Amino acid sequence: MKTLMKTFLLSALAATTLSAGAETVVIVSQQNAASRMFSEQASQFFLGKSNQFTPIDQADGSPIRADFYRKVADKDPAQVKALWSKLIFTGKATPPKEYATSAEVKKAVAADPKAIGYIEKAAVDDTVKVILTLP
Amino acid sequence: MKKLLTVGMALAVNAAFPAQAAVFDTGDLTVSGFGTMGMAKTNTDQVRFVRYNQAEGVSDEARIGLDTNLGLQASYKANDWLSGTVQILTRKGPLPGFTTDLTWAFLKAKVNDEVSVRVGRIVLPTFFTSDYQNVGYANTMMRPPIEVYSQSPIESTDGVDLTYQHAIGELNLTLQPFVGVARGRLSVGGTTATFRAPGYGFAFLADYAPFQFRFSDTTAKLTSNDIAFLNNLSNGARAAGFLDTASDLHFSDKKLNTSSFAVAMDWRNIVLQTEYTRRRTKDFMHIPNVDAWYAMAGYRFGTVMPYYSHNTFKTKGTPIRVPANFPTTGPLGAAVGGLIAPNGQNSDLIGVRWDFAKSVDLKVQIDRVKPKYKSGALLGPAAGYTRPVTVVGATLDFVF
Repeated sequence: MKTLMKTFLLSALAATTLSAGAETVVIVSQQNAASRMFSEQASQFFLGKSNQFTPIDQADGSPIRADFYRKVADKDPAQVKALWSKLIFTGKATPPKEYATSAEVKKAVAADPKAIGYIEKAAVDDTVKVILTLP
Repeated sequence: MKKLLTVGMALAVNAAFPAQAAVFDTGDLTVSGFGTMGMAKTNTDQVRFVRYNQAEGVSDEARIGLDTNLGLQASYKANDWLSGTVQILTRKGPLPGFTTDLTWAFLKAKVNDEVSVRVGRIVLPTFFTSDYQNVGYANTMMRPPIEVYSQSPIESTDGVDLTYQHAIGELNLTLQPFVGVARGRLSVGGTTATFRAPGYGFAFLADYAPFQFRFSDTTAKLTSNDIAFLNNLSNGARAAGFLDTASDLHFSDKKLNTSSFAVAMDWRNIVLQTEYTRRRTKDFMHIPNVDAWYAMAGYRFGTVMPYYSHNTFKTKGTPIRVPANFPTTGPLGAAVGGLIAPNGQNSDLIGVRWDFAKSVDLKVQIDRVKPKYKSGALLGPAAGYTRPVTVVGATLDFVF
């Protein structure tokens, strides 16, 4: 239990230090018609409120993921998990597919015209389209 | 069963604690689960505090059975448009001891981006949190307020539902009509009876972050032939020549309607949730009309959220035909009089939820229950019990 708490605190600490300064961008496929999006709109897909777009997530527990949900929805990972558990255990939705790196998220988003994901700004290339930049 | 459950719980907790969720996911098949380990007691041995439709509940000895449960779910995605989901739930319900029920079992066909159809066993969306009321981790409060949720204790139905989702900007609308036949067990006046209830209804949700507005309406035609004390009363009334009363007490094809209006807000650190419900009896029968509501407020301090709720229910008359010359004393008169007498209860609860680790929360909650007439929603003596009861509980909720 003590180790668990320690891990938890350390990862929380890591999340705060790593995220400082790094810019995150929301991306879609080049085939997607969308060109711009507000963070409120983007958050709907990642919180399972709308299925117009298919969200692609970063790894559970990753700093970029915690930072993303904090910025677009003002929610911490536990709040997001509680929201998704309402959808999962009522058969309403399946949670977003997760990828371990921004490169993998980018690849998955590029391949699906309906997909929406988020990656570090530095990882962007012309296979995807940036529709929102988070400070 | 108890041993099996303990093993199951241990496995579940082991699964819940590692840093990466232990969800088994091959891409097409996903196995996940949720559970609650709880302990609760009250301050009296005169009555028992129960969850709705629960036979045992707790009194002044600490018990795990009030809140402890374990749900396991498997979903299989056959292709882009067809999937199947099965969920079983182990908990203490209308029968003594822990039992396992099939709570969801459906095939889901996605017609297009906005419409999907489910066929099979689905949980009735009678109230705001009905769908996920057993998932402790998904809820702020430790248990659904009994004052409201006991008004329609039928949880699942075998039938069809349709989900239509439409977005207008950031406003997300969801309409879910359903029709089906529910079968199961009800805990009634200290005994357990079986029931059958064909029914239909809809739930409508408007989500405009950070607000949610929800309205639902459920109608069911309920038949329960094996409630012994009710059958005895019906037979007694018939023998005494009160045929209308006898027919009203005969629990067969009786129509009940329950509607719910809820508003919730999750804005910054403030969490609000309130729900107002009305149950109306559409046929002559012994079940009263009831108005019920609760209002909850919580505030997040990081991972710790204290919350408060006030809950209440009150009967609004019983549409049973009891003529003026019906006896008011004697076994029949007293029993029918007791059945149709008003009932009601208020409670205030305070609690705290602490999201202390990934996918696990700890809750501590104290309920102060004040039955106003009879024994409220408590299981009490025939003469009724109207003194306040304090319930203390602690739970560990997890998802995996």
